[in-house]
Amino acid sequence: MANKEPKVRVQNLTKKFGDLLVLDNLNFEVEEGEFLCIVGPTGCGKTTFLNSLTRLYQPTAGEILVNGIPVDPKKQNISYIFQEYSSFPWLTVEQNIRFGLEIKKIPKEEADANVEEMLDIVGLTKFRNYYPSQLSISMLQRVAIARAFATKPELLLMDEPYGQLDIDLRFKLEDELIKLWKKTGTTVLFITHNIEEAVYLSQKIMVLTNKPTSVKTVLDNPLPLPRDVVSEEFVALRNKVTDLIKWW
Amino acid sequence: MAEKQKRVAFGALGIFIFLCIWYAATTLTSLGKVMPDPITVLAGFFTAFVEPIGTHSMIMHILVSLRRMLIPYFFGGVLGVLVGILMGWYKLADAILMPYIQMIRPIPPIAWIPLSIVWFGFDEGSKYFLIFLACFFTIALTTYNGVHSVDETLVRAARMLGAKDNQLFTSIVLPTTVPYIFSGLQVALGSAWATIVAAEMIRSSEGVGWLIISGQEVGNMTQIMVGIMAIALTGLLITSIMRGVESKLCAWTVRGK
Repeated sequence: MANKEPKVRVQNLTKKFGDLLVLDNLNFEVEEGEFLCIVGPTGCGKTTFLNSLTRLYQPTAGEILVNGIPVDPKKQNISYIFQEYSSFPWLTVEQNIRFGLEIKKIPKEEADANVEEMLDIVGLTKFRNYYPSQLSISMLQRVAIARAFATKPELLLMDEPYGQLDIDLRFKLEDELIKLWKKTGTTVLFITHNIEEAVYLSQKIMVLTNKPTSVKTVLDNPLPLPRDVVSEEFVALRNKVTDLIKWW
Repeated sequence: MAEKQKRVAFGALGIFIFLCIWYAATTLTSLGKVMPDPITVLAGFFTAFVEPIGTHSMIMHILVSLRRMLIPYFFGGVLGVLVGILMGWYKLADAILMPYIQMIRPIPPIAWIPLSIVWFGFDEGSKYFLIFLACFFTIALTTYNGVHSVDETLVRAARMLGAKDNQLFTSIVLPTTVPYIFSGLQVALGSAWATIVAAEMIRSSEGVGWLIISGQEVGNMTQIMVGIMAIALTGLLITSIMRGVESKLCAWTVRGK
């Protein structure tokens, strides 16, 4: 039974704002260690979906189970990386990365080791004593990612974290993300409107419909890592996802 | 660092030019009949450190006034921060207290002199009361604004990292509010010090405000100007110290730098 239980199970998830039905009876499961990308037409309620998943919004109906129990960020180790830059301006890079570890009261030696490892992976060791106001946009997003991974989350939610970066930096950070994901074995839910990004990163791609949002389909992405964005298979899968989103 | 030295140099140059104009105006025109020139005032100011005016030397006048200002400033600061946080955090406290603050704040401290004498007598109490009024409201309101300026994204981020309500308060709300508290403390320090003359209008026999009031009573223009100079220079000194403390404690803000 314990082995069969998926990491995340979403059952009949429904969210209404007043009379407006945003999420319509979503059902899906995510396996342990999976990298799932969620794509959908613009304005289809992707962010509402993630926010319900984290209980930032209370869902109108339905259930979200993580490890078989209702989701609660205070009890479960979940991290969230936002579209907006969310590093704490009064903390240095190092203190930002340490934040979640201190909130969760992780012992100091373990926390120190995690912080060093994260600083190293995202390449910010030299900038550990800098404040966010002294960093570039891509460095800020790295801080957010390192902060999220430092707590060794069981589940990582990402809401278009690279939406505002130029293509060069995006590829670089995407490679870093894959590296971190492989290393930690974290389950990742990654929301994006960028189909290429979804195909580049994911193991599975979930396509959402227009509002009211439901799950249109879930595709497997068997392409081996690292992926080549101009290979035939890559382009074929990208076009397939594009068509699924276009034909609502 | 060079930037900072330049700033100080330009500041000093500006003051020097002002003193020159003052000197020219009092020696070359009839303004000199009603107002002493800067050299007389400066000499008067520095002589007062060795030759007492009234019963005290200049350093004692300054220290007495500083104590009169700092004690109520301290209480105004602590209470102002507490009330500001209370109003910022709880809507009910905001609804109840805000009208009082908005009504009482515009009343100038001198307007309270008669009442404060009745309530607190002629001694230090009434002076403390006036200065307390001069700083409490500013600090309460800036703190309140600080609590309201908390970034929702950061609150969400902290919540997602597992922060409970009390942790949110100490790890997000307080650090956001600290720069606001400092700007409030800075402004309030200025107004508290500016109120010293009003406070010392209530029977006193020492202090920088007293220098001005007793100078007026005997028609000693030099003593009045010496009192003004003492207030100006001490004011410059304490606000500089305050700014230094701020840049140490709020290293991340642009203001602090």
